[in-house]
Amino acid sequence: MLSFIIRRILVSIPLLFLASIVAFILVINTGDPLEDLRTKQPPTPAATIALREHQLGLDKPPVERYVSWLTKAIHGDFGKTIKNQPVWDEVSRALGVTLRLVLFAEILSVLIGVTIGVISAVKQYSWFDYTATTGAFLLYSLPVLAVGSFLKYVLAIRLNRWIGRADDPLIKTIGEGTPNFCTPSKPYNCGFIPATTDFLSHALLPTLTLVLISFAGYARFSRASMLETLNADYVRTARSKGLSERRVILKHAFRNALMTVVTVISLDFGALIGGAILTETIFEWHGMGRVLVESITKIDPNLLLCWFFVTAVAVIAFNLIADILYAFLDPRIRLD
Amino acid sequence: MSAVDPILSVKDLSVEFPTEDGVVKAVRGVSFEVRPRDVLGIVGESGCGKSVTSMAIMGLLPSSANVTGSIRFRDQELVGIKRKAMRAIRGKKIAMVFQDPMTAMNPVYRVGWQLAEAVRAHEDLNSKQARARSIELLDTVGIPQAASRVDNYPHEFSGGMRQRAMIAMAIANNPDVLIADEPTTALDVTVQAQILEMLIKLKDNLNAAIILITHDLGVVAGITDRMLVMYAGKVVETGTADDIFYHPRMPYSIGLLGSLPSHSGTQGRLKPIGGAPPSMLNLPAGCPFSPRCPLADNTCETVEPPQVEISEGHVSACHHVDALNAMPEPLKLFEGARK
Repeated sequence: MLSFIIRRILVSIPLLFLASIVAFILVINTGDPLEDLRTKQPPTPAATIALREHQLGLDKPPVERYVSWLTKAIHGDFGKTIKNQPVWDEVSRALGVTLRLVLFAEILSVLIGVTIGVISAVKQYSWFDYTATTGAFLLYSLPVLAVGSFLKYVLAIRLNRWIGRADDPLIKTIGEGTPNFCTPSKPYNCGFIPATTDFLSHALLPTLTLVLISFAGYARFSRASMLETLNADYVRTARSKGLSERRVILKHAFRNALMTVVTVISLDFGALIGGAILTETIFEWHGMGRVLVESITKIDPNLLLCWFFVTAVAVIAFNLIADILYAFLDPRIRLD
Repeated sequence: MSAVDPILSVKDLSVEFPTEDGVVKAVRGVSFEVRPRDVLGIVGESGCGKSVTSMAIMGLLPSSANVTGSIRFRDQELVGIKRKAMRAIRGKKIAMVFQDPMTAMNPVYRVGWQLAEAVRAHEDLNSKQARARSIELLDTVGIPQAASRVDNYPHEFSGGMRQRAMIAMAIANNPDVLIADEPTTALDVTVQAQILEMLIKLKDNLNAAIILITHDLGVVAGITDRMLVMYAGKVVETGTADDIFYHPRMPYSIGLLGSLPSHSGTQGRLKPIGGAPPSMLNLPAGCPFSPRCPLADNTCETVEPPQVEISEGHVSACHHVDALNAMPEPLKLFEGARK
């Protein structure tokens, strides 16, 4: 197992390298970062433009730009944004915001989704199954935009108004936290309880949005997976031993259904690190999704490259985790 | 008949499955008895109801199935028994070996673990004792180096070894009745004989009865005491192996025998039965075999044939038993039917 992990990590290095080349080609073709400067009226002096071009390395040929970006990136320096801020600071901050959102939402979705899926499969064609399957199908087909906006405008804002807290909303609809919440002038806000309360009131809506749209997928997936294993010969064998139905379902059917479910979940996780773009936009969270959108609209090459890099690492890492989990769960897969 | 009381007696067993297209009558009035050390062969084509019969005995039919009649194990009625009471019998008193050993074992658990699970379902053993019992069981069914093989996963076993392990699992609690549903169908011919031989040996050691379900008459030849030929959910002929093999009095049994490859080399080609079994949703009014039978006449198509006793214990459900009796070579019945 260990040799497999080391081998896979070694293989991911050229993979990342390849991904960085593709990302770089895409990024340098996104547009001209200095377009604003060039089209300004009155015109910017040519010397200023030349200086900025030099600072951003735009005057060099693409290959040279790539090599210089890569050498720095390997040493942990992802350069500066066009606003001259360190890129890594911005991305690591955004990563933290996204993780806070995605981690909770994903864990909840998995727990709720898998539980519902398993019960639906065990009680196939019962009222529970029909309700859950139909509900999951409806939510699964709804766009994030609709779910998010509904929660925000139709439910939360009205609720806040109705309980008379429109100015100091109980359920926060904007941002990942109250700005300047914990400062030296407001030390009473820095304790665990006020900080957690502030986080939860902000995280409620976006988390709920993500859970509503993604638990449905897991429910449908685990239901299908469970139905398959419940009809497997080895489950019949387990029953023929005289085992309790509970043991048959959990130890035999669910244990096997878990293999495919776990793979899908870990792959999903990797993809979520790139940010929940729509959810972050609706609730104005400044996470990875917003970084992506802003770096594209403002044509910020270094920021965009760093986003690509972090996302690529996450996807590759979670692919590896999926493989390891799969091998762990299925003895037929031999990794060495 | 026999002085020993039957250990399992099935009387007038019927199983129906309601479906959207109508009621599927999978088993229609099957009766038989087995005594300790008996080997009962149930033969018939796929879909004739033989597996459903065995699942009914095991209490493993889906809850939608409508089971009527009686299945008595010793003094206990199994039709309509409480689920918990059935669980105590299943795997303990009546155990089952399934057709495909490739899929019948859980791929994610070690063979020894699965054996131990079967033991511990009915006996209060700690894991060490259960493991020792697993090794002993694997040894009994002829797995070499059982002490190390016990830690293998099913995929590390060959097909024959897996079926041996499945049999070990079935005999884990010294059952009184062992149902083997096509136990050798998925195996190599050379392995088939070994497995059958082992089943017979185990039966004698355990003093158990075996119900051997198969579509292959070659498998049951020589090892069964009694045979049940099933067609479209009914027993169409029953008797000793000799009765069925040498004096069959039901055209379907004759057809099955003709479909058996012979190595004598004198008979030339195989003589399959033309056509296919009827749909269980839409059974013919009379004899279910009539559409495929060379002897079929008007009576066959409209009146269900009665059970006719030919000799003691040899019963056939055919209108034309007399005609077959009169034939010089009833076994060649199907030869004339083919052009």
